[in-house]
Amino acid sequence: MKSTPAIDPILIGEAADWLMRMDQGALHGAEQLAFERWRSRTPAHAAAWRRAESVMQTIGAVPGELRGNALRGLENTDRRRVLSRLAMLAVATPTAWMLYRELPWRDWSADVRTATGEQKRMTLVDGTELVLNTASAVDIVFSADERRLRLLAGEIMVTTGKDPSPHYRPFIVETSQGTVRALGTRFTMRVEQAQTQVAVLEHAVEIKPLRSDRATRLDAGQAALFNIDGLVGDVRAADAAAGIWERGLFLAQNLPLPDLLAEISRYRRGVLRCDPQLSRLRVSGAFSVTDTDAALRVLERTLPVRINSFTRYWITVDAA
Amino acid sequence: MLYSDHHHWLHAWLRKRLGNSFDAADIAHDTFVRILSKGKTALGDEPRALLTHIAKGLVIDHWRRLDVERAYAESVAHLPEAEAPSEEARLIIVEALMRIDAMLKAMPGKTREIFLLSQIEDLPYAAIAERLDISLITVNRHMRKAFIACMMAD
Repeated sequence: MKSTPAIDPILIGEAADWLMRMDQGALHGAEQLAFERWRSRTPAHAAAWRRAESVMQTIGAVPGELRGNALRGLENTDRRRVLSRLAMLAVATPTAWMLYRELPWRDWSADVRTATGEQKRMTLVDGTELVLNTASAVDIVFSADERRLRLLAGEIMVTTGKDPSPHYRPFIVETSQGTVRALGTRFTMRVEQAQTQVAVLEHAVEIKPLRSDRATRLDAGQAALFNIDGLVGDVRAADAAAGIWERGLFLAQNLPLPDLLAEISRYRRGVLRCDPQLSRLRVSGAFSVTDTDAALRVLERTLPVRINSFTRYWITVDAA
Repeated sequence: MLYSDHHHWLHAWLRKRLGNSFDAADIAHDTFVRILSKGKTALGDEPRALLTHIAKGLVIDHWRRLDVERAYAESVAHLPEAEAPSEEARLIIVEALMRIDAMLKAMPGKTREIFLLSQIEDLPYAAIAERLDISLITVNRHMRKAFIACMMAD
């Protein structure tokens, strides 16, 4: 961003005056002429104005409603995060880790994230096994009274441990849509599009959407989807392959190709597009989520499709 | 020489801070690109200090991008699927939000508040003056400062 050549600050000031003028309504005849004269006076004037236009295009690129929400969301993030991050850059992680080990019952909070295409496995102080799938973020907030995870993005698998704490601390996973309380258990959770998906592999959990008074119990082999107001649809049988991502695999059973590609694209950066013509193709098989290039090559070999890559981050799947 | 002497420890340094090897590799790479593109092949007496300084800046940008992507995801979450921006639009919007974020950071608090009221809430200058109980001239002064900050940051 700083690579653009410097422009005379006086011209930047004059360009700002014109921006303000235009901000308050369209220019009239004489003003429009004056503006054109100003802009074409020298190449430096024209360059200053291009800078001004680029600013307005940048602001205009974000649809109005999103702009406010997203920027307000960022301001909140700032308050929460900046200090802890600067601290992280200053202090070597092993020290921080040991501190936490020594003070297990103090309140503490940590961010754990995975990049797109990455999975991460860790054991928490209470012995709980936590696995993060691709592009996921979790805050871990353990206190004397409870063990709480905040699932901010992506997908996790939790296998709760036998808590060494002298008194009972419930294990809770929170999303923006509500909470899921573990009843001695193994389960997966995923947040997407203002909904949380839960599948229970062992024992049971209790779901409590944020704005609902009703709690719903899910037993092993069951799955459900909820939003902030309640369950979306009924409790259903969990997919037999729920949680298989933990082993780096994705199982497709007679799945439309675009759905499979959508799943694969969770593990890749950039754009992966599918020709709409191909939406009738159905695919079955096990695919690697840790090597999605290989998965795409398999598709090209076994289906009438061609994979076109403009760059590693821009790939289209077309009819062969 | 530059790369082979320093890549290994820089990657390790980044991995420790980022907690993952993928992003560490990306940022280590970008750090060298940053240095080589400036034509600095010698790194002075303290090559590690320069490399970590540049890498820290890139790590902060990287975290910021994750924040921006999350803020974006949260603000489109309530849209029906049909109205949600496409993946291409998402990339463009996230990029624009990164730049707007950098512009806003370049403004003092009061100026930022007035700029947001104007450009985000779409309030006319006179309405901003009224809402904040300040003169129109003061609003104008802040808006001018804000636009200048935007152009310098862009």
